[in-house]
Amino acid sequence: MKKIFPIIGAVLFLVLSSALYTVNETQTAIKLRLGEIVTVENTPGLKFKMPFVNNVVKFDNRIQTLDAPAERFLTGEKKNVIVDSYVKWRIVDAEQFYKSTGGNIARTNNRLAQIIKTGLKSEFSKRTIADVVSGERSEIMSNILKLANKDIGEFGIKIIDVRIKRIDLSQEVSNSVYRRMQAERQRVAKDFRSKGAEEAEIIRAAADKERTIILANAYRDSEKIRGEGDAVSASNYAQAYNQNADFYSFYRSLESYKKSFNENNDIMVLNPNTEFFRHFNPEVK
Amino acid sequence: MAWNDNNNQSPWGGNGQTPPELDEVIKDFKNKFSGIFGGKPASGSQKSVTPPTGGFKYIFILALLVWTLSGIYIIDPAEKGVILRFGAFQEETGQGPHWHLPFPIESLNRINVEQIRTAQIGYRDAVSNRRGGNVSSESLMLTKDENMIDAKFAVQYKVNDVQAYLFNVANPDATLRHVVESAIRQVVGKNTMDYILTEGRVAIADSIKERSQELLNSYQIGLYITTVNMQDAQPPEQVQASFSDAVKAREDKQRLINEAQTYANDILPKSRGKAARMLEESKAYKSEVVSKSEGEASRFGQILAEYEKAPGVTRERLYRETMENVLANTSKVVVDSKANSMMYLPIDKLIDAKKTRTEVIIQEAQPGQDNSRGSVRNVFRNREVR
Repeated sequence: MKKIFPIIGAVLFLVLSSALYTVNETQTAIKLRLGEIVTVENTPGLKFKMPFVNNVVKFDNRIQTLDAPAERFLTGEKKNVIVDSYVKWRIVDAEQFYKSTGGNIARTNNRLAQIIKTGLKSEFSKRTIADVVSGERSEIMSNILKLANKDIGEFGIKIIDVRIKRIDLSQEVSNSVYRRMQAERQRVAKDFRSKGAEEAEIIRAAADKERTIILANAYRDSEKIRGEGDAVSASNYAQAYNQNADFYSFYRSLESYKKSFNENNDIMVLNPNTEFFRHFNPEVK
Repeated sequence: MAWNDNNNQSPWGGNGQTPPELDEVIKDFKNKFSGIFGGKPASGSQKSVTPPTGGFKYIFILALLVWTLSGIYIIDPAEKGVILRFGAFQEETGQGPHWHLPFPIESLNRINVEQIRTAQIGYRDAVSNRRGGNVSSESLMLTKDENMIDAKFAVQYKVNDVQAYLFNVANPDATLRHVVESAIRQVVGKNTMDYILTEGRVAIADSIKERSQELLNSYQIGLYITTVNMQDAQPPEQVQASFSDAVKAREDKQRLINEAQTYANDILPKSRGKAARMLEESKAYKSEVVSKSEGEASRFGQILAEYEKAPGVTRERLYRETMENVLANTSKVVVDSKANSMMYLPIDKLIDAKKTRTEVIIQEAQPGQDNSRGSVRNVFRNREVR
C-alpha cells in the first residue's frame, strides 16, 4: 500500500498536468474537441480540459502591428510617391479568426497588406501630392480604416488604426524638388543682396545730398560774409580816396609798380626817353 | 511612493499601505496558500502532504522550503512588479521585498517605470548603436509647401501604466516608434518649411508630442511621452549650399547697409567740419579786408595830408623812390622806342639767369636819329659774365 502512493501521485500529476492549461493575460484560447471548437476562453487563468480529447489553440490578443514595406503609388497628377504605412489590428473574434486563417498571423498580415495597398492606391490616385502630404492625410487614413474593416470582416479581427508613416517622393521627383528649392533659395539670396544694395545706395545718396547741402549752405553763408567784408572795405577805400582822386591814382600806381616788379627775374625793357631817365641821357633835352 | 497608489488591488489588503516586514511576508504566504487550496488552515495542508516515511520526509520538507523561498523577490524603487497567477493578472507591487507563490503558480514581471526611455528618429547616436549616424529614410520628409527637410527627433518616454504596457500591445516600444514617425510626418506635412526651420521648432515638437500621445492613448499602450525634441532640422544635403548662401545673403544685405552707414557716418561729419571751416575762413577774410581797408585808408589819408602841404616835391620824391625800388630789384633792358628795327632779345636766357643779376642796356648811340640808320647797333654794356 505504501509503495503505491508515489506511483498514484505520479500518475495523478501526469493526468492533471495534461488536463490543465493556462491562458495568459495577453492571450485568447480556443478549446477544440477532436478538431471541433468547443469554447473560446477570453479570460486568463488556469483552465481545464479533457486530456487527449481536447486540444487548445492560443492566440495573442494584443494589438498587432503590420509594418508593410514601402510601396510606390501614383498620385492624381501622375507623380510617383513612396508610401510607408503601418496597420494596428487585434483579434476580436478568435473563433472566426481560427476558422478563416487557421490562426496564421503571417497569412493575415499578407491579406491585410493587400487590402491596405489597394485602399491606398485608390485614395492616392484621387489626390495630389499637396493633398496627401498636408491636407487630407487623416482623411485618407480614416477612409482606408473604414474600407479595410469592411473587407476584413470575415477574419475575426479588428483594424484599430491605419497610419501613413512616410510619404516620400521618388528619386526623380525629389531631384526636381531639390532643384526648385535651390532656385527658390537663389531667388531669396538675390532678393536680399539687391535689397541690401538698394538700401545702401539710398543711404549713400542721402549722405551725399546732405553733404552737398551742408557745403552749399556754408558756401552761401561764407560768401555773404565775404561780401559784407568787401563792402565795408570798399566803402572805407572810397571814403579815403575820394578826398583826392588824382593823388590816389598816382599813389596807387606807385604801389602797384612796387608790387609788380619785385622779383629778380622780372625783366624790364625800358625806353630811355621817359621821365625817369630825364637825367640819364642829358643830351636828349 | 508610487507603489502605494497601485497596490490596493491586493486581495489581502494588509500589506497594501506599508512596506511588508518579513513576518508579514510569511503570514502572507500562509494566507495565500490557504487561499489556493480551499481555505483550510495552514497546518492542515502541511499535514496532508507530509509523506509517511521519516528520511524522505526531511528531504521533502527541505525541497518544499526551497521552492517556497524561491518566491521571494525585491522590487527596486524605480520598478513595479506585476504578478500573474496562471497567466492571469493577480497584483501589482511597489518597492520593497515581496513574496509570490512560486513557479509554476505565479510569475513576476518587473517593469521599470522611472527609467526614461529614448527613441531616436532620424539618427542613432554612437552610444546606443555602434554605427551611429543619420538615417535619412527616417529624417527626410515633405513639408506643406512640398519642400523636403531633414529633421531629427529624440523622444523620451516612460511606462505609466504597467498593465497596459504588458497586456495591450505587442511590442510597445516599436509601436511607439511607428506612432511618433507617423505623427512627425503628419505635423511636418501641415507646416511650411520656413516655419519649421525657424520660429516653429518648439511648437512643432509640442504638437508632435500631443499627436503621438493621442495615438498612444487610443492604443492604450501605457506609455507616456515626456519630451519630444527636435534635435536638428535643416534642408536636405543637396540644397544646403543654396540655403547657406541665402543666409549669407541676409548677412550681406546687412553688411551693405552697414557699409553705406559707415560711408554716411564718414562724410557727414567731415562735411560739417568743412562747412564750419568755410564759415570761419570767410569771417577771417571779412575781418582781414575790413582791417586792411581801414589801415590803407588811414595811411592814404595821412600821406594825402602831407602831400597837400607840398604837392610837387612829394610827388617827385614818391615817384623817384618807387622807381628806384622797382628798378633795383629787376633786370632791366633799356631800348629806344624809336629804334623799332628787328632786335633779338634772348628773354628766355635772361630769365634763366634769374639768379644772377643781369643788367642789359640797349641804347641808341645817337638818340634822336631817324630809324633808318641805327638798325642793329645794340650796345651791350655792362654785361656780367654768367
